[in-house]
Amino acid sequence: MSSDSLSATFAALADPTRRAILARLISGETSVTKLAEPFQMSLPAISKHLKVLERAGLITRGREAQWRPSRLEAGRLKEVADWLEHYRRFWDESFDRLDAHLRELQAQQKQQHRKQTREKKHVRTKKHL
Amino acid sequence: MSEQRNTSEGQAAKRELVITRIFDAPRELVWQAWTDPKQLVKWWGPKNFTAPVAKIDLRVGGKYLYCMRSPEGHDYWSTGIYREVIPPERLVCTDSFADADGNVVPASHYGLGEDFPLEMQVTITFEDVAGKTKMTLKHVGLPESMSDMTNTGWNESFDKLAESLQ
Repeated sequence: MSSDSLSATFAALADPTRRAILARLISGETSVTKLAEPFQMSLPAISKHLKVLERAGLITRGREAQWRPSRLEAGRLKEVADWLEHYRRFWDESFDRLDAHLRELQAQQKQQHRKQTREKKHVRTKKHL
Repeated sequence: MSEQRNTSEGQAAKRELVITRIFDAPRELVWQAWTDPKQLVKWWGPKNFTAPVAKIDLRVGGKYLYCMRSPEGHDYWSTGIYREVIPPERLVCTDSFADADGNVVPASHYGLGEDFPLEMQVTITFEDVAGKTKMTLKHVGLPESMSDMTNTGWNESFDKLAESLQ
């Protein structure tokens, strides 16, 4: 599996133009010019969409500088369409953040506790004086 | 075409996801992170997402509504109803995609696969392991033929009732 984060996939699929591009690629690899035809969009705009899809691992693009055909990465798309796989990634990434949150929270609590202890000591010292 | 059908049948059979994690924190703290909206927004969602909204009515039958925002600014809402609330041990709730008003919507609303169940159930258990917390999450897709299952349940009850009356 690619290491792209779920957010890249989410972002890639959230856009209707990009979903339409994926749908077109089901029938085979296609050049940027051909892909742009059904959309009222400039080639650079389409290229931008393709870059997002490529980053998310949903398509790969040929190396030929002129033609650069886009190809659907069916395996990756299936992975995204499979709801269990989707949630496995969702939870894994969320729990990484939960782990970081719990660490931060406890570090803050420790710091607070240390500060309070220091203040108590300070008060005690004052009383003795 | 028939190959595709086989694939979707295979997926239908695999309807359960289990994830276990150990957190280096007491379980009261992990429980709070799940049930205090102020804390939930700090971690809910994949890498680089934020959570602008979390509403939690923490009681059996109570609802929650979360929103997470992608780095591109797309909002994804989810909602559900709490089925079991046993602090700090066990939390069971349903889980569905939603719109901003909390109405349940299919996953296709967000451009996601057609095979996503409309309603799922999430069970989270928290175990104390020498001061750390072992958290187990079970995510299950509720079958669409839920009414059939309920019918079976009723029929069995009626059978028992019939037997007891004989």
